[in-house]
Amino acid sequence: MTESIIGHRTTRIDGELKLTGKADYAADHNLLGQVYGYPVPSTIARGRLVGLDLEAARQSPGVIEIIHRGNFPALQHSDNNPACGSEGRLFHSPNTMAEQNKVGEARLPFEDDGIHYEGQYIAMVIADTFEHARAAARLVTARYEEEKAVPGLFQTDDEGEEAGDEAVSRGDPEGAFESAPVKFDHTYTIAMETHVAMEMHASIAYWDGDRLTVYESTQGVVFQRNAMAQIFGIPPEKVTVIAHYIGSGFGSKLFMWPHAVITAVAAKMVGRPVKTVLSRQQNFCSAGNRPASRQRIRMAADRDGRLKSIRHDSQNETSFVDAYTESVGSGTPRVYACDNVSVSQRRVEVNHGTPTSMRAPGEVSGSVALEIAMDEMAIELGMDPLELRRRNFAERDPSADLPWSGNHLRECWDDASRRFGWEKRNPEIGSMRDGHEIIGWGMADATWEAMRSHCKARVELRADGKVQVACGTQDIGTGTYTIVAQTASELTGVPIERIEVKLGDSTLPAGPLSGGSMATATVLPAVAGATRDAIEQLKQLAIADGAPFEGKKADALTFESGALSDGNRTLSFAELLDKLQRGMAEGEASAAPGDEQDKFSFRSFGAHFVEIRWDPGISRLRVSRVVSTIDIGRAINPLTARNQVEGAIVMGMGMGMFEETEYDPAGNIYNNNYADYIVPVHADIPDIEVELLDNPDFNFNEFGARGVGEIGITGMAAAISNAVYHATGKRIRDMPIKIADLIAS
Amino acid sequence: MMDDSVHSPDDALQPDASRSSNTVTVSLTINGEPVTLEVEPNVVLLDALRERLDLTGTKKGCDHGQCGACTVLIDGHSANSCLTLAVMHEGCEITTVEGLARDGQLHPVQEAFLEHDAYQCGYCTAGQMMSTVSMLNDKRIGSDDASVKEAMSGNICRCGAYKNILSAVQSARAKA
Repeated sequence: MTESIIGHRTTRIDGELKLTGKADYAADHNLLGQVYGYPVPSTIARGRLVGLDLEAARQSPGVIEIIHRGNFPALQHSDNNPACGSEGRLFHSPNTMAEQNKVGEARLPFEDDGIHYEGQYIAMVIADTFEHARAAARLVTARYEEEKAVPGLFQTDDEGEEAGDEAVSRGDPEGAFESAPVKFDHTYTIAMETHVAMEMHASIAYWDGDRLTVYESTQGVVFQRNAMAQIFGIPPEKVTVIAHYIGSGFGSKLFMWPHAVITAVAAKMVGRPVKTVLSRQQNFCSAGNRPASRQRIRMAADRDGRLKSIRHDSQNETSFVDAYTESVGSGTPRVYACDNVSVSQRRVEVNHGTPTSMRAPGEVSGSVALEIAMDEMAIELGMDPLELRRRNFAERDPSADLPWSGNHLRECWDDASRRFGWEKRNPEIGSMRDGHEIIGWGMADATWEAMRSHCKARVELRADGKVQVACGTQDIGTGTYTIVAQTASELTGVPIERIEVKLGDSTLPAGPLSGGSMATATVLPAVAGATRDAIEQLKQLAIADGAPFEGKKADALTFESGALSDGNRTLSFAELLDKLQRGMAEGEASAAPGDEQDKFSFRSFGAHFVEIRWDPGISRLRVSRVVSTIDIGRAINPLTARNQVEGAIVMGMGMGMFEETEYDPAGNIYNNNYADYIVPVHADIPDIEVELLDNPDFNFNEFGARGVGEIGITGMAAAISNAVYHATGKRIRDMPIKIADLIAS
Repeated sequence: MMDDSVHSPDDALQPDASRSSNTVTVSLTINGEPVTLEVEPNVVLLDALRERLDLTGTKKGCDHGQCGACTVLIDGHSANSCLTLAVMHEGCEITTVEGLARDGQLHPVQEAFLEHDAYQCGYCTAGQMMSTVSMLNDKRIGSDDASVKEAMSGNICRCGAYKNILSAVQSARAKA
């Protein structure tokens, strides 16, 4: 290969399947004998289920079974009975990241008669058609003893419970705050958001004897496989979870939700494949959310703009079922140089479904508050907001006290501010106008920690001239299929058209979750290792007795452009395998992070510059321009990587201007659909210009990639709010920004 | 693989006739092929395509006409297939994403979406492309970016690949 395909703009290898309707998403599977599940949700948010009337539903056409607390398998706590496989019983998943069996909601469906949130399952109808299941589900009536719900974080005085492991403190934040000349104490809020991935959660389950197969829209086939095995008390080898294509997840599909357990039980009870596709409304209730947060920031600086103290004390919502901690302040001790910092986090129980990770979980919420606070500090000081950030650049990670592996934030500032034209900004509020419109310019930093996990992969050099790569991770739309193929192509010299990639199947060598921006850095080293191993296996075959390179030393052979050579003779791997009458040379590898985390701090940085236009005559607020420069190490595929950042910017616009899951006082969601839960659409999209710096981070992995999914959303809503302040003088600390906030006097 | 043995669209999913009632026969043309369906009147077109005919390229994103993922062409015009009943389309010509490519050759809109990376997860993509095909044939809609963005705003892309979708649409227009 003369030209590297790593770092080269590469159209998706799965593109044609997606564009012709042939890519198989979970609910696209139609199995022989398949029947349909349709859940019956609780209509109250808190109380007790005291009666279910199923008779009308049972008489409804096509109904096969109705699953509910009365006939659902009993729970047996796994810690009471480590023996597996007790027929007719279910167990709790241990629910841990380390064992890779974490679930979205630990409570099993119908486990008790308590109702903890609206939309909690109280039954599921199984019928011969989708229409019959839906019609019957609507005939189920329930009786409740209703209690007064806690409808949300902002409607309760409960202080919540301290999440002790989130607490960070260095220096003397309180003393430094008291003695500093410039300081403030403000509170910021982020509304609850819902992922609303285009593809609704879906599960198809069937049993073949004691073997369970599940088609699930999941960001983690291995996690779901392990969790199912724990819940049913069967070995993981007896569970297969398949997710070839996922209509994205943004975190909502990382960990299994209760509908999948009910569906698997249903399949066992009726002895047929059961397909359950959650309605959009149901997706809002019982499949995770970004919890609302309330954040108090006390920030102090000297008159030169050097930060003297930051205290970041936050609360997040959790459910009454699970203790979910949103690590809101996790970035605060790391991004700026400041000797006196403390962070704390509390969880407040509310009657919502359990929260889960949503794109840049925790840190994005914290970044919005912190980056608005930085803008406020700049105003207090009469300083340019970019200059304030420059004065607080962290030369090394102040929290880990380690050098950055690569912090190119200054280059991001330089590049983005130049392209944006920041030097033309008149700092005076409302001073920049274009006709009816007042223009506001704001900026914020973006950041996300780089993480890496362990991974296995298998590579086959095949006699038909193709290379097949297999890994039990997923492509949720980020482009994993393509970067895996690029990696195998790079190392074998085989054109990408002849690389086949198998992902999204728990029977493949175990791969990571598609989340946290860590799939790229986790998967590619394993794929590279397996490719090299396959090439080595090929060499061993080639030098064996009677083989074409008999008698040569393996390390005297070169492998280039898919061919083995000793300098005189060159054979493609297909020719060689053909001569040897072998189907393939197979390689496997495991890859895991080493001790690099002890030597460096790995974190990506970037900067967003945003222009908004406020038309006070018609009360219209629009984002008109976004210029962002992001350093993610190396972009393996700049085409898909830039798309990730642009998409994250769009989601950040949603966070800043539109998105809020709203509950009435009884705890019922009243915007549980795509019309009332507002997300950005085509007409909202401004001119977005993203540049990715190319500073490969070889301390992190051999490809220099730190991952790209999350960082683009961080800071984005703050940049919008800061621009709004510049235009209007209104400091909006509550996301999303509402028109009402701007027209209030 | 389980699909090979169990997946059999031809004989899958036949409703239990003994307990079904009031089915209606509807004949329509889908991607140029005549199709006859026996469905109850409340079966929406989207579910008929996906669950009865195994044409699963058309996606369900909301079931309420809010997201556009289910967009198909009905007699050449784009429509949300989740908002219309199958029985209302006797004699109609339906085009789904499976009918865009001809003779193994991608439609210019599909080619443009591939080249411009006008998607991420791919779930809204069929709807985006069907709306594009319809819009490019609609003389009432201007060719400028603002008009295209307005016309396409019924098709949500939660991945936020809007910039690339716009590029793809304008590129396909240039080639058409």
